[in-house]
Amino acid sequence: MRIAAIALFTVLAVATAAPAQSINDAQIAAIVVAANQVDIDAGELAAQKSTNSEVRKFAQTMVNDHTGVNKTATELVTKLKVTPQDNPTAQSLRKGGDENLAKLKSLSGAAFDKAYIDHEAAYHQQVLDALDKTLIPSAQNAELKALLVKVRPAFVAHLEHARQLQRSLSGN
Amino acid sequence: MRIAIALMLFGAAALSAAGSAAGRDAVSTKPAGHTVTMEATSFAPVVLTIRQGDSVTWVNKDPFPHTAASGAAGFGSPIILAGKSWTHTFEKKGEFDYVCTLHPTMKAKLRVK
Repeated sequence: MRIAAIALFTVLAVATAAPAQSINDAQIAAIVVAANQVDIDAGELAAQKSTNSEVRKFAQTMVNDHTGVNKTATELVTKLKVTPQDNPTAQSLRKGGDENLAKLKSLSGAAFDKAYIDHEAAYHQQVLDALDKTLIPSAQNAELKALLVKVRPAFVAHLEHARQLQRSLSGN
Repeated sequence: MRIAIALMLFGAAALSAAGSAAGRDAVSTKPAGHTVTMEATSFAPVVLTIRQGDSVTWVNKDPFPHTAASGAAGFGSPIILAGKSWTHTFEKKGEFDYVCTLHPTMKAKLRVK
């Protein structure tokens, strides 16, 4: 878990630390799609594999919400005629997501739930940092920026929900 | 003759007064419809005051599902998909906190007078 968390931090720290002007809207679009897809994939696995009803409910919310955001983002960039441009941050997000999935597939029961929820809490915190420090400030198109601002509170809600589950799973 | 005119005037005035009162009552007691928007994972307005018998329509303007539910008020929407809405009529007076059961940070209040 610690290695996965460090890898995630490193990936998003790159996006966070990079100068705002170094990321264009096409790259932001690719990062948004990758960030959502990573969480959809983990959510689909957890919704199927977890034996805890609250964890399954959370996982299904992640699938629904991030699928909705990706659909809206894709429709917007299509309308704006922006082709998502793959970049190291998006690639690293996908790589980190794959590593997380591989780890989760090796676990079961309470260990699976804890690993999934711990990762969700860390992931949403890092995505929020990236949104605040890089993605929103860097977005040039007003509609793209507005979409990022509009979906940000959902990430806050997800983070709070994940933290509630962390407390619940640890018995606090 | 004077008496007859006085009675006619009184009667007309009484009818007019009764008509106005009925009109006022009809306006003030007619159930109203209200709208709460669900957008950016928030309810707007956060506090809504309505009258008993009014209805509230929750409109989901987010790209993902929400709900509106309150155990105390005895209402709970089904999942409201993106772009969809749900309406409920309130017959019970009181002040009720409600939430989106999918997003614990999404809270609001409804006052039914």
